Amino acid sequence: MKQQIALFIRSVINSYSVLFFSQNRVLGIILLLVSFFNPVAGLAGLACVVLSLLIARLLKFSDDNLQMGIYSFNSLLLGIAFGSFYQVNRLFVIWLVFACIMVVVAAIIFSQRLGKIGLPMLSLPFILVFWLVLLATHSIFNTGLQQKNSYLLEEIYNGSGNIAGIEEALATHLPKLVGLFFRSLSAVLFQHNIIAGMLIAIGLLIHSRISFCLLVIGFMVACGFNYFTNTYPEGISYYHLGVNVMMTTVAIGSFFTIPSMRSYLLGILCIPVVFILINAFAGFMSVHLLPIFSLPFCVINISLLYFLMLRKNPGKLQLATVQHYSPERNLYQFLNHQDRLNDLKYLKLNLPFMGFWTVSQGYNGAVTHKGEWGRALDFVIRDDEHNTYQYPGTLPEHFYCYNKPVLACGDGLVEQVVNHVEDNAIGHINLKENWGNTVVIRHATGLYSKVSHLKKSSIKVKAGDIVKQGDLLGLCGNSGRSPEPHLHFQLQTTPYIGSKTMAYPLAYYFSRHDNKNSLESYEIPAEGTLLSNPEINQSVKKAFNLEPGYTAQLISENGRVENWEVFKDALGQLYLYSKNTGAVAYFINNGTLFYFTSYYGDKRSLLYYFYLAAYKVIFSDAESIVANDQLPLQLTGRKPLLWLQDLVAPFYRFIHINYQSNCQLQKNSLIIEAKQYQEIAGKKTQIIEATVNVDQDSLQAFSITINGENIKARWGTENT
Amino acid sequence: MEKLTYEKPYIKKLHAGVMNKFGTRTGIQPVKQIDGVSVKKLIEGYGSPVFVLSEKQIRKNYRSAYRAFSTRYPKVQFAWSYKTNYLNAVCQIFHQEGSWAEVVSGSEYQKALGNGVPGNKIIFNGPGKSKEELKIAVDNNSLIHIDHFEELNQLLTLSKELVNKPRVAIRVNMDTGVYPSWDRFGFNYENNEAWTALEKIVTSGKLQLVGLHCHIGTYMLSTAAYGIAANTLCDLAMRCNTLLNHKIEYLDMGGGFPSTNTLKGAYLPGADTVPTVDDFAEIITSTLLNFGFAQEDLPLLILESGRVLIDDAGYLLGTVIANKRLNNGKRATIMDFGVNILFTSFWYEHQISPAQDFNPHNENMIIYGPLCMNIDVIRESINLPLLNTGDHVVVHKVGAYNMTQWMQFITLRPAVVLIDEQQRTHLIRTNETLHYTEEPEVMPAHLRPSK
Repeated sequence: MKQQIALFIRSVINSYSVLFFSQNRVLGIILLLVSFFNPVAGLAGLACVVLSLLIARLLKFSDDNLQMGIYSFNSLLLGIAFGSFYQVNRLFVIWLVFACIMVVVAAIIFSQRLGKIGLPMLSLPFILVFWLVLLATHSIFNTGLQQKNSYLLEEIYNGSGNIAGIEEALATHLPKLVGLFFRSLSAVLFQHNIIAGMLIAIGLLIHSRISFCLLVIGFMVACGFNYFTNTYPEGISYYHLGVNVMMTTVAIGSFFTIPSMRSYLLGILCIPVVFILINAFAGFMSVHLLPIFSLPFCVINISLLYFLMLRKNPGKLQLATVQHYSPERNLYQFLNHQDRLNDLKYLKLNLPFMGFWTVSQGYNGAVTHKGEWGRALDFVIRDDEHNTYQYPGTLPEHFYCYNKPVLACGDGLVEQVVNHVEDNAIGHINLKENWGNTVVIRHATGLYSKVSHLKKSSIKVKAGDIVKQGDLLGLCGNSGRSPEPHLHFQLQTTPYIGSKTMAYPLAYYFSRHDNKNSLESYEIPAEGTLLSNPEINQSVKKAFNLEPGYTAQLISENGRVENWEVFKDALGQLYLYSKNTGAVAYFINNGTLFYFTSYYGDKRSLLYYFYLAAYKVIFSDAESIVANDQLPLQLTGRKPLLWLQDLVAPFYRFIHINYQSNCQLQKNSLIIEAKQYQEIAGKKTQIIEATVNVDQDSLQAFSITINGENIKARWGTENT
Repeated sequence: MEKLTYEKPYIKKLHAGVMNKFGTRTGIQPVKQIDGVSVKKLIEGYGSPVFVLSEKQIRKNYRSAYRAFSTRYPKVQFAWSYKTNYLNAVCQIFHQEGSWAEVVSGSEYQKALGNGVPGNKIIFNGPGKSKEELKIAVDNNSLIHIDHFEELNQLLTLSKELVNKPRVAIRVNMDTGVYPSWDRFGFNYENNEAWTALEKIVTSGKLQLVGLHCHIGTYMLSTAAYGIAANTLCDLAMRCNTLLNHKIEYLDMGGGFPSTNTLKGAYLPGADTVPTVDDFAEIITSTLLNFGFAQEDLPLLILESGRVLIDDAGYLLGTVIANKRLNNGKRATIMDFGVNILFTSFWYEHQISPAQDFNPHNENMIIYGPLCMNIDVIRESINLPLLNTGDHVVVHKVGAYNMTQWMQFITLRPAVVLIDEQQRTHLIRTNETLHYTEEPEVMPAHLRPSK
């Protein structure tokens, strides 16, 4: 029950903060307080929020949307508008309740329909319903609602000119522009109060430096543009400046897009368009005596967002696909994922052989990999003296790679097989049957792999067979254009033998240099690389094999108990869920390594510590195999510096958080040692040291030292 | 003109053999250096006789053997057979290359632990494990290869009092068509003894059956036998999977691959007759790959090769003590090393090369060691150029078994030197001293010499 109330309060606060695309509690509370500057409006707003939340809850609509205040922020606007527009009487309450219900219905319909194509509804439900209310009161029938007579309404109706109203003492002292800025901010809550605007500005700054920065930019540019074009000779209405211009700059520049130079520019370029929309709509709607509210904001955001979504190649202006309700977090997570989520970008292809082979000819090699057939790899086996054969090397059998198994690089369907071409004598080539004995496999639409020059009659598969990664295809031979035994491997977009090649990375492989292996991921090996498929430590692999349904009980040294379970979300992504703290950590396990992709929730949860300790683990016990990675910047402990970083983050990052781990064999078990370094402008300091113990093919315990504090936890009971 | 060395005049019996276009030349070449280090300097530095090991050759052997298997099979693990040569420096080379340890006694087991091998990477073989040794092995999570039912029963009893569940495999013997059939080790396949043991292990629930082991012989000259052995182990593993619902993690094919030494009584030299590691790898891996395991269920393949990985990396350097003419007119040369330190001379016809230039004449001779024992014969018949007292010789391919089976008998055991990859020499075992051999001796008071 207590938890339920806390959740409910949280959704009430979120209904406020979501007005500024945030889930920040501080901002929400500030907005809640500020709304009470006009007590009637504040009360009406709060009442509408509570009412709509109750309705949506009762009817069991999506918990997530409820929690984030998606269904209730339009009601909030309605309540505040009602309180600002009408005088309180008996009928006021009745109409408010019904209008609120209408908004809830509209909000749910809009969010569903628009959500399907990935668009936000913004304040459309509020605008629509309030228009209906206004039209109803303007009609010849008596609704009993009495419109207030205030400067504010004048302002909203007339849409330009005089900044009138209560001039605070501040207004006289502050430069005109600064006063206007704060006033404009307060307009979002239908106010025109400098103090309100100041409070909101503080809240916004706490929520996001990037958003705040864009607000200022939007404000300045709009004023400058107006000065230049003289569209509004007496200055832009602070209402439109705040609600339409500045909010559009923030939304386009940082919320719907990943903040960057381009998104900032786009946000600025929207301003003249907003001017056009304001003027057009105002003229059109004034016929019906309807204020346009934030309609220009809604129209430009929804249409521009839809337009951006339709692009085939997003290029450098990326949309925020996963919304964290914080431009900083969106940006840092995006940058972090850009480098890390290759698993979602590429099909996982392995090398088509066993053991260590050498790339004898790489992409665009000097011998035969030319032009459209340039993106191919040739492999041979070399000994320590770099010979490919044993003395005397006059027969194919003398070559190390001859007769060695050739494997399927990935799951797929065998498209073509040639198995009849004679193997050449050493030094001879067969240009007539250029590719020799060949297998083409279809892995996906438009992704085929081909292995060539195999041994005659060695191919074990036939066209139409389904093969799994690592299945035996045939044996390495010397057929076709091959003067000495080698294996030709290429990826192509069409299923033909002789198709032109395409560049495509290999998922994971060990490259050996000076007798030390290192793990390469999603790379294209260069000529001369000595490489093999990764050698996997089965024990670590099994320990991190966390499938849905895996449950574990963690007991920390100070007796805290947490229950974890693995779930799969609607998009097929796995996550660990801590039942006690509600924290969630998403991860990927691709059979070669385990890594967390994101963490949401309480930073005192044991799950958070495990997230930091096992951020990335390679399933290899070789000491030379070290996992290197970067954590998203919002996890840094240096908050003041981070604020500074936030301001310039879309353009330049000077803070980096590096992560490093490797496995160490113990007497009977295995530990994963991890370290986290913070790098500020090139200066490196270690901030976290952690170990994870693996024994008997399962996770046993972990320990982490963070800011001098040591936390230890062990796995209690578990089942998989 | 350079002054020619003096040659003692000799009379040689004329052999009216088959005509030979090469005349009387034998093709013997002097071996003046090993891995670029002069034999003369080695003997000056470390005394004579002295064993010399080439790190470069050891690593090369390991890598080429490992390559032969790992490019044919996805999961391969070598375990260094300690009894072949357990000088710690040698073991460390193999461990550095990635080998586990295969031991056959409690002391070898302790040696492996001392070399830093994690307990779960030690394979404990052999028919003679004591209760205490088994306990330690279980505590360390080592792989215990059970040899007989007594051991199996003992482990079952032991498992009650121990924390860890013992990880075990059984050694299987079978008829591979090779004589002699090694049926004295492990459980027999044909009479179902092996299956009985497996059933007993799995149904007991007290032991963790992780693998199957065989070792079909030593110095095996037939690859087909390994095909049969691999097939037998695969069959047992598959039956375990289907009938006992138990997955076998690894198949240990043992060792027994021959080096290129020539066995006594062989007509042709070993280098021309023995199959290569590649030949063995081909038959073993193709049997495993084609047996019908699902790709992800393919068992780990373990190999315990010893001899083939080190034999040709070992040399024995010695010095001529004296020459003799026997009563039957045959020439005899006495060396300063005997069968007590060159144990393998009982099995092999070791190649011996002079370590300095020599005149082109050679003679069939017998090579004796320095022991005052009739059995001390290194080679009964070998064609060598005439050697003078003080000349040095190099005995080839002595890396396996000599440095473990040598005896302190009459003479003391010599030093062992390792030449590393940068051609630096390292003393890895000093020559024995009288003090060392007498140290364990205890003198009863009444026998003490009076002063």
